Amino acid sequence: MNMQFFEWLQNTPLATTVSENWFPWVESAHVLFMAIVAGTILIVDTRLLGLTSHQLRVSYLADRMLPWTWGAFTGSVITGFLMFAAGATNYVHNTPFLVKMCLLVLAGINMLYFQLVTFRTVGRWDAGRPPQAARMAGLTSILLWIGVIGFARWTGFV
Amino acid sequence: MNLHAFSEWLSATAFSQKIQITSWAIPGIQTVHLLAIAALFAAALVVALRIGGRGLASEPLPSVARRFGRAIWMLLVVLLVSGSLLIVAEPGRTITNPVFYLKMTMVVLACVITIWLANVARRELERPAAIHVAAAAFTMILWTGVIFAGRFIAYVESY
Repeated sequence: MNMQFFEWLQNTPLATTVSENWFPWVESAHVLFMAIVAGTILIVDTRLLGLTSHQLRVSYLADRMLPWTWGAFTGSVITGFLMFAAGATNYVHNTPFLVKMCLLVLAGINMLYFQLVTFRTVGRWDAGRPPQAARMAGLTSILLWIGVIGFARWTGFV
Repeated sequence: MNLHAFSEWLSATAFSQKIQITSWAIPGIQTVHLLAIAALFAAALVVALRIGGRGLASEPLPSVARRFGRAIWMLLVVLLVSGSLLIVAEPGRTITNPVFYLKMTMVVLACVITIWLANVARRELERPAAIHVAAAAFTMILWTGVIFAGRFIAYVESY
């Protein structure tokens, strides 16, 4: 891995300002954004699993929740990038951090597959019990997000 | 017995020692705590948005408040249990930390307003008054403060 890039990144004025002055604020904002992302996703996932919000159409619930999910996800990426820049040379060797990022990519693939494939037939199950593929997507999403948050917290202990 | 003595006694108990020497215990309990605050924050957000006439606006307010209110109280129990375990594991980090008391004050205040709003919602108010919308917005500021204070416990020195 080209360490020069990460050394450069870590020594940019922005990165040093984060590590010297802003880190607790950026980290707290990251937790806040994470809470909105994971919390709103959980509301949709438990509906897919048939555990909650039975009276709501899946498409309506997703439509009402996902703008918050994506807005907060943007905030998570920005705050996450600032934290990464502040300690880039360490994070690239931090195993829990790397596992977290892999799980995040898997969560994205799971969501994309659900959106592009499973959700196309939503008209048939919108108001009722979602099919097995949708329930699997919900369960997979919950498990991946538990992993993302767990490995993210572990990152700070290494 | 003052707080420092209590803190020292607590961290010397067998149960506290057991948590301290189990390497995955503290990040594990913190992960449960984080998952619960994420779910609580989202549930509180759904209720607050509905009171403001947004979010799940086509759903009756009493139904939204009842269903998500139940989730909020269940998650609070998870937060209290996991939070208590974290205090037992590292009492010196929390019970002599001013930010911890700020956090608890905000938790209590948020709960009181949430109970009041739940009662308002039960009366099937189709159009909540401005004061209810303001109170709902204030609970979200409080939960945000709770999240920030929770993280700042790690950065502010105990006295």
